[in-house]
Amino acid sequence: MIDITDIRKVYKMGSESLTALDDVSLTIEDGEFTSIMGPSGSGKSTLMNILGLLDTFDSGNYVLNGTDVSGLNDNERAHIRNKEIGFVFQSFNLMPRMNVLENVMLPLVYAKVPAKERKARAEKALEQVGLADRMYHKTNEISGGQSQRVAIARAIVNNPSVIMADEPTGNLDSKTTIEVMRIFQQLNDAGTTIVMVTHEPDMAEYTKRIVHFRDGKLLKDVRKTPKRLPEGEV
Amino acid sequence: MFKENLKMAVGSILGNKMRSFLTMLGIIIGISAVIAILSVGNGAANQLTSTFSELGATTISLSASSEDGNEDLITDEDIQVIKESIPEVRYVSPDETASSQIASEFADRRAILSYGTPDMQYTNQMMESEVVHGRYFNQTDYEDGKNVAVITEDTARALFNNRTDVVGESIQLSGTQNQLNLQVIGVLDGTFDQLQGSFDLSEMPLYVAIPLTTMGELNPDATSIDGLTIQTESTEAIEPVSNQVVRLLELRHNSVGEDNYTAYNFLQALDQVNNVLNLFINFIAAVAGIALLVGGIGVMNIMLVSVTERTREIGTRKALGATTNTILVQFLMESIILSLIGGLIGLTLGILLSNVVAGALNIVPEFTLSAVLLVIAFSTAVGVFFGIYPARKAAQLDPIEALRYE
Repeated sequence: MIDITDIRKVYKMGSESLTALDDVSLTIEDGEFTSIMGPSGSGKSTLMNILGLLDTFDSGNYVLNGTDVSGLNDNERAHIRNKEIGFVFQSFNLMPRMNVLENVMLPLVYAKVPAKERKARAEKALEQVGLADRMYHKTNEISGGQSQRVAIARAIVNNPSVIMADEPTGNLDSKTTIEVMRIFQQLNDAGTTIVMVTHEPDMAEYTKRIVHFRDGKLLKDVRKTPKRLPEGEV
Repeated sequence: MFKENLKMAVGSILGNKMRSFLTMLGIIIGISAVIAILSVGNGAANQLTSTFSELGATTISLSASSEDGNEDLITDEDIQVIKESIPEVRYVSPDETASSQIASEFADRRAILSYGTPDMQYTNQMMESEVVHGRYFNQTDYEDGKNVAVITEDTARALFNNRTDVVGESIQLSGTQNQLNLQVIGVLDGTFDQLQGSFDLSEMPLYVAIPLTTMGELNPDATSIDGLTIQTESTEAIEPVSNQVVRLLELRHNSVGEDNYTAYNFLQALDQVNNVLNLFINFIAAVAGIALLVGGIGVMNIMLVSVTERTREIGTRKALGATTNTILVQFLMESIILSLIGGLIGLTLGILLSNVVAGALNIVPEFTLSAVLLVIAFSTAVGVFFGIYPARKAAQLDPIEALRYE
């Protein structure tokens, strides 16, 4: 469970200061599939970075799964990112020169999981995204949609409590977008908490909750029944 | 984690083969130069040592000269005393040489004339002198100043129509003052050691050896002894005997502290040669050191480029849970492996190079384990020293900035 209270983040640019998050409070329960929407500059990316423990904030409180993570140092935050959070980026960010399997195993390397177990768990994660047959392909030998599925496998391989997806379909065509959203829905059905930043209302339609941001403030918070994607081959 | 880092480092180096190779080039050149110079240098030193030992491991050359021009610095008596009072002295003889005219009833030629005590048979540095016919002149010949001579086979051939067994024949020796008729009492299987290979055999000078006392009759004005050659019983005795002989001569001539006598042995010659060799090795090593420095800067440069190129990768790794330390170790490992591979290629190349150079110089190169360990230690050190700054730069990247980097 994510619980933030009165989070404030101000960027100083010379004499000017820009309030990216203006005392934002938000609770995301386990098992939710939340999309964060808003125009650029609304603070949604900053919120995502703070929730993913990539960025720090100036005031407020952040409790992740019952632990206060507000004042942790770089190393402690790295460990929590590794254990609790799975990232999916707009541009996939797979490691070149590594094959699909090695990419998926990478978080387990940082978690100091033994090599044998790493492989078994990565294979399982790749099966979940339907890419078990692409394991030994290089990352430049697979399509964009497949790349993002590899990234999702990498995000779930260490069983994080939440997946943070930042515009995960921004670089994909409509067909592969559907594939990726279907995988997210399946993962969510299986109990994974997902937070997704998007500026496409179509994508938000597939989620259970939409949080709107504008000028660093939470504008609207809507829970709804998601539009279901038909089951099918991924 | 070590294995993963190693794999990542090797992958990244192999991913940019040409670039990695060019980066390593400085280190390859530096290390191969160091290895080649060390092994050839050591080989040369070994060879010199053994050559010197063979030539004169038990030989002392003593020279005498005084500032006031006194020429009687060594007397016949001195030679006797040296031989009798210092037990480690095996042979002692003046080893004087002059040029003279030598004639038989058939021919008249120029010859090298050596004169000394009977021990000269063994102290003569110029030639092997095994007696093949007759005998060398002995103590009686020497003490009585008999008119006898020993010549080489070549000389015999030149003077006696290609005969070698000419014992009993007479020859005439012309000095600057007198002429002497001498009887040949021995023929040596003599070839000039130090001239061998440098001269055509037909041009080999003729050689005749006579007792010092006989020389007194030939050239009464030119018999002062200004040097001795001494053979010791063992190599260990060289230093003590050198000192004892000098001391003895100084005492007998009341010239302690005047520095009239200088003993010179192969150890000193070897020292001098080694000094020159070491100077040369150090100079080349310094040049190689500069090559390594340049190589190290190349490593640093390429690592900085690599960190910039891989900013997004670093950001992603941090998002996935890599700590500052993990990234630091990863990049440091890469620079170490880059220099280490360079070092090992340099080592291989250096061994090949030294075999080629040593082959051309007729030397057996000497490779030592310490040189190999030195290479490994040195390339690792270069990798650490020049890799730490880029690695720290990578490790300290802000993950958000890094992920945003295009």
